[in-house]
Amino acid sequence: MNTAQALIDAVAFGAVYAVVAVGIGLVFGVMRLINFAYGELITAGGFTLWWLRNQPAPVAILACFAVVIALSLLMERLAFRPLRSASAATMLVATFAVSFLLQSIYLLIFGPRGNPVSTLAGLQTAVSLGKLHIRWITFVSLGTGLVLLLGTALVLERTTIGLHMRAAAADFRTSRLLGVRANRVIAFAFLISGFLAAAVSVLLTVEDQLVTPNYGVSVTILALVGVVVGGLDRLWTATLGGFAIGFANSFLSDELQGSRVYLPSVVFGAVILVLLLRPGGLFAGRRPPVERM
Amino acid sequence: MTRRRLEALLEFLGPAALLVLVALAGSLTSAAREIEFRNALVSAAIVIALYVFVGNSGVISFGHMSFVAVGAFLSGILTIEGQSKQFVLPGLFPFLKHATIGSWPSLALAAAVGGVYAFAVGLPLMRLSGLPAGIATFAVLGITYNVLRNWTRIGPGPLTLSLVPETTTVWTAAGGAVIVTGAAFLYQRSPAGRMLRATREDAGAARASGIDVYRQRLLAFTLSGALCGFAGGLLVHLLGSITTDQVYLELTFLTLAMLVIGGSGSLLGATVGGLLISGLNSFLGDAENGVQIGFRLKLPSGTSLVVLGAFMALVLILRPSGLTGGRELRLPRRRPPSATATSEGQALGHGSGGHV
Amino acid sequence: MAEPALAVESLEVRYGGVPAVRGLDLQIERGEFVGLIGPNGAGKSTTLLAIMGVVPPSAGDVRLFGRSLRDKRPEDVSRAGVALVPEGRHVFGGLSVEENLRLGLAGRRGRDGVGADFERIYELFPAVRESLHRSAGALSGGQQQQLAIARALLARPDVLLLDEPSLGLAPTVVESVFSVLKEIREQGVTILLVEQRAEVTIRAADRTHVLANGALRLSLAPGDADDTERLAAAYLS
Repeated sequence: MNTAQALIDAVAFGAVYAVVAVGIGLVFGVMRLINFAYGELITAGGFTLWWLRNQPAPVAILACFAVVIALSLLMERLAFRPLRSASAATMLVATFAVSFLLQSIYLLIFGPRGNPVSTLAGLQTAVSLGKLHIRWITFVSLGTGLVLLLGTALVLERTTIGLHMRAAAADFRTSRLLGVRANRVIAFAFLISGFLAAAVSVLLTVEDQLVTPNYGVSVTILALVGVVVGGLDRLWTATLGGFAIGFANSFLSDELQGSRVYLPSVVFGAVILVLLLRPGGLFAGRRPPVERM
Repeated sequence: MTRRRLEALLEFLGPAALLVLVALAGSLTSAAREIEFRNALVSAAIVIALYVFVGNSGVISFGHMSFVAVGAFLSGILTIEGQSKQFVLPGLFPFLKHATIGSWPSLALAAAVGGVYAFAVGLPLMRLSGLPAGIATFAVLGITYNVLRNWTRIGPGPLTLSLVPETTTVWTAAGGAVIVTGAAFLYQRSPAGRMLRATREDAGAARASGIDVYRQRLLAFTLSGALCGFAGGLLVHLLGSITTDQVYLELTFLTLAMLVIGGSGSLLGATVGGLLISGLNSFLGDAENGVQIGFRLKLPSGTSLVVLGAFMALVLILRPSGLTGGRELRLPRRRPPSATATSEGQALGHGSGGHV
Repeated sequence: MAEPALAVESLEVRYGGVPAVRGLDLQIERGEFVGLIGPNGAGKSTTLLAIMGVVPPSAGDVRLFGRSLRDKRPEDVSRAGVALVPEGRHVFGGLSVEENLRLGLAGRRGRDGVGADFERIYELFPAVRESLHRSAGALSGGQQQQLAIARALLARPDVLLLDEPSLGLAPTVVESVFSVLKEIREQGVTILLVEQRAEVTIRAADRTHVLANGALRLSLAPGDADDTERLAAAYLS
């Protein structure tokens, strides 16, 4: 396939992964929690779109956002709030447990076979620009990704709650001493995080239409790897890491069509190498990373 | 025998007794149920092997199922009867294709290869801590899965490895689990084990007192890998078959959850976690077909996993340090503790044997 | 009779089994400037942290104008009208000076008068006004201390707690900090100052208490500032 085409597709993919990275990074920033169950939010979004497949697209999409955001806030309130002072290992395993629980609920309700989503199927049609055939979804992913990233940055930089979130991420204790409300800041992080997950689920289901109970798992794992490789300590390095891995995954899998069987090993090998050379993340500065665990 | 000696032995005997009890119960039930008990014992063996590294070092590894996988596949391939093997796995390396050994030797070999693989992986990786270590070990899991799934010279690739003799009886499983427990016990009581535990509490302070953190972690990682390989051998001879998907993500998360829920700081915790969750899993599965527990319980189909997931989440939320709180089995106190003793105990927190 | 601004009653705080504060009783009337000095590990910081709800007391109570602060979350204590300038200042190095100040507004009870308060801050701390858009991490120790106090004041607290503001600062800078504290006191804020530098504190405060080993040992008036014998006795008792 055309290298230019592969590049453009990879950038769009990277944009989506960057959004997932922000979703994960925001919660990590305020809570020091890696929410492994983030993927279940994406899956929930996918199932909502399937459930309302006979409704007009705007209705289905609105419902998708409502359901995912509600689920995100519920997760925080019921599962993660009680664990705020637990060890990092316990929190991580708790997120596994929540992820496992949700997947088994999806399995129970929707069954093991994939449910096809067709909400924005029209975006699969392609537009021709010279020699390139670019599908609409590629543009939409790119555009939406950019808007979401910019929007999040604006909220963080220009609003009071955003200021409180940035302060909480830097120094939670001192923030509370100044009057920043812990519960509110964390809930807001989960709100934005959920919003982003919903958007991702809408974009992903255009390409990958079959929603199974473990739909969001592989995206989350890959994004997580990207976030740590990019640098977990700051939001922008995490975002770059997410973008990088989404981009690399897509580009390499397009370019190395023939010998792609061992591609995962190559990518993982690169990840190990990066972590050995720069444990704080590829894009992190000279500052030594703060030990989390 | 001094009180201290007794308490030390209890650290091993407690878990070992649990395992034996489970085996006993298993041998007395019907053939259909017995496999669940064997399952629980092998699960416990895997979790204890995992604990040897994760519990003592405080570093999370997502890659340990790589060693279980290697042990399972190697030990399985070597025990398949010669003629069928040539037919079913024609692409294998000659030494794998033509050799056929007994189950116990294959377990020893599985342990050896698991250990060597762990050592090779640990050499670069044990410099890392925390999250980078977690992701790096996860990458190792990914590589192992990818290679095993595609390299047909060393295994069946994406196909199921079957025709493995099912030699893991309930007592073999118990015996194997007790061996793993014994190794874990001997390690954590050794100077090396104590040194590693010191790094778990405060790596900086440990380093300052002269402990070579890297070296101790590498040692534990290697031992843990060997034990995982051994447990993998038990696993494949329990199931009679194995696929790469069975030793990948789901097993990784399940064993980690079992460890943390049981209490990741102690051998007892690892044992309890493995036996309990596995047992619960089996029980809930049976409940979907209807069980008699004083009254008849029948769960709607598919809900067993939901109940299991909810149980695990609840335990973690209500008791974040796990069911055992990371403590080993203790002798009951003979006299009421004095005020200073309690406050010291509180200040020291959890750990094995009271020495840290 | 009006309730004291801040009343600490039989306060006990333990870390694990080790008591850091034992049976501390302290009453501060509205508008008073009280100092708390003592050797390292005496429990001074712990007392302030217990008042703010960061560390839970194992016994005793803390009252703000008669209302108990016990078991309140730090952000709620802040919103009730108590501000802490923590030891080591803890300014947000990655944020600008202005953003640091805006964070101080989080503890405010009402949204009115913000502009006027900012003006007062700029008068008290000209260095802060000059560096509004710089990153807080780029400021000197003394400037950061001023920022930390300014930030706390923007919450319009009734009671201002300070934990060792002179730490790491040159004597001239310490002088300016203390003169600012006196001005703040003039504006009606009740001050509890925890300090290592005994002399400066005793001179500036209405009364100073010595805390050693978790309990109050001695009370000193500004006139006792030169009485080194009494001071030494208190520290060493």
